[in-house]
Amino acid sequence: MFKKVLIANRGEIAMRIIWACKELGIHTVAVFSEADRDSLHVRFADEAICIGPPPSSQSYLNIPAVISAAEITNVDAIHPGYGFLAENAYFAEVCEACNIKFIGPSPASIHLMGDKSRARATMKAAGVPITPGFDGVIEDEDEAMGIATEIGYPVIIKASAGGGGRGMRIVRDADELTAALPAARQEAQLAFNNPAVYFERYIETARHIEIQVLGDQHGNVVHLGERECSIQRRHQKLIEESPSPAMTPELRKTMGEIAVRACREIGYVSAGTIEFLLDENKNFYFMEMNTRIQVEHPVTEFVTNTDLVREQILIAAGDRLEFDQEDILFSGHAIECRINAEHPVTYAPSPGLITAMNVPGGPGVRVDTAAYPGWFVPPHYDSLIAKLIVHHRTREMAIARMNRALEAMIVEGIDTSVALHQQILAEPDFQAGRLSTKFMERFNGKPTKRAAKEASNVA
Amino acid sequence: MNLKEIKDLIELVSEKGLAEFEIERQGFRLRIHCFKETAAAAPSSAATPLIVSTAVPSPSELTTHERKLLKPETAASAGSSQPAHSTETAAEGGETLHTIKSPIVGTFYRAPSQDSEPFVKIGDHVDSDTVVCIVEAMKLMNEIQAEVSGQVVKVFVENGQPVEYGQPLFGIKV
Repeated sequence: MFKKVLIANRGEIAMRIIWACKELGIHTVAVFSEADRDSLHVRFADEAICIGPPPSSQSYLNIPAVISAAEITNVDAIHPGYGFLAENAYFAEVCEACNIKFIGPSPASIHLMGDKSRARATMKAAGVPITPGFDGVIEDEDEAMGIATEIGYPVIIKASAGGGGRGMRIVRDADELTAALPAARQEAQLAFNNPAVYFERYIETARHIEIQVLGDQHGNVVHLGERECSIQRRHQKLIEESPSPAMTPELRKTMGEIAVRACREIGYVSAGTIEFLLDENKNFYFMEMNTRIQVEHPVTEFVTNTDLVREQILIAAGDRLEFDQEDILFSGHAIECRINAEHPVTYAPSPGLITAMNVPGGPGVRVDTAAYPGWFVPPHYDSLIAKLIVHHRTREMAIARMNRALEAMIVEGIDTSVALHQQILAEPDFQAGRLSTKFMERFNGKPTKRAAKEASNVA
Repeated sequence: MNLKEIKDLIELVSEKGLAEFEIERQGFRLRIHCFKETAAAAPSSAATPLIVSTAVPSPSELTTHERKLLKPETAASAGSSQPAHSTETAAEGGETLHTIKSPIVGTFYRAPSQDSEPFVKIGDHVDSDTVVCIVEAMKLMNEIQAEVSGQVVKVFVENGQPVEYGQPLFGIKV
């Protein structure tokens, strides 16, 4: 087992990794930028090294700085968390070259799944249903026209080197395609340094359903069920839950087995998530694979009674998975709200000093956070300041539990999305489980919401 | 000797204005050396920085908490958001003390190689392009330049010590 692990991240996920390490008796090393000197993860790690000034590119994304910190503290392994360097295949290679274990999949897996059009082709070969589309990259416009017609409109143009909802455009006919294609390629070049794009049929009303997988270094792979993450604004998830209201045991078994088979085919090791779109007829299509631990992993942990970060560490240390697929039992319903430092109506980011804070407790409530009263939320990083997760026997009971927990989730001094979550939970469509990726569009488009937004702009 | 006892000792030394204090007990030796000038130079800090000399036996015998405590206080603390690499503190006589801070994470070396003389010693004059030390990161030796003109009056770190980004290395009287 590792003696010392460096956490190449910050905020709530750094805390999460520290907790798993402490429970395993592993010493922790935190790295931090100057803006995070007073952070909680610095406070709770056994050692802490300042690696740069506030900007991520000079600190958390600064590979030489992170590796240098790992070397001077003599760690055995690095856990990259999510975001930052978690899906940077080059970083995983550097770790290997420096004899530091990267707690995650192999550089090859990261590389493969990071190239979205190659990932599609690989999944297709592994027998995973994919959205009708063209599996290569689109070279010229004439070709593009033909392909789009064959796929059938509406078509979504996606950047091959993109992901996470960035670099996407929807076109509904040939004229829109003519206009959008060069712009999409340019955007892709600017954002991902690669103008390659590919096409997929765009599924209008779909649910975002993802399957959690775990693979060890001995070829054992299991799935831990699904999460529904349809409530997204601009492709950023706001609320996640497990199980999905649309799921049946048969569908879960089918999707789970397909996900496991795909992982075995590509030799996937560690935690990962395969994202699917589920259409109204319960057809599912592969979207992308995330080769990291995800933000919303706690809902799966509640429902399956597992510790996924612990499993990542054990897997990286060479242990066999302690459980088979038959050992994984699903119990109850879990919901997560991502509490962001943002205005609940205008979504304007709200960095600043937290003057008072209270977190809910009681049965079936979990709060993952690195925020505390007196902490200055820095403007340099993403706005997630806490994750509020609840678990109860049924979905209805979980919603009631989340409502009373949100009421007690008090953060003063900055704006947070708590009020937004409360409103979403009050929506009849949410309560009935009628979710799709269009949910937030409809929610934000409501007359009352628009009026509130206008009022905020005027104020 | 436990953490509380060490903390009490440090407080005692500081309070009484002692220059040096040494204690040996059951195979454990602790030496505390107090820099008098620093006491005057940082009136706003709550605790007077103290340096514990290497008389303390192998670090593995201390818990990580004790090790964290015994690390020298960094001069730039208290959540300051100054982006610049240098800080200037007013020393006695109204002269400014410029601190050279490490621009990278790595291991600090005072000399070009094991057998050479240090790049600079206390009392030496430096110009802005004088190499004052090496910080090694990932097997690359990075030469650190003074970037100011003046006299070396303080060395904050020891040869072979790991340093973090922004860690004070030298004090230069400009």
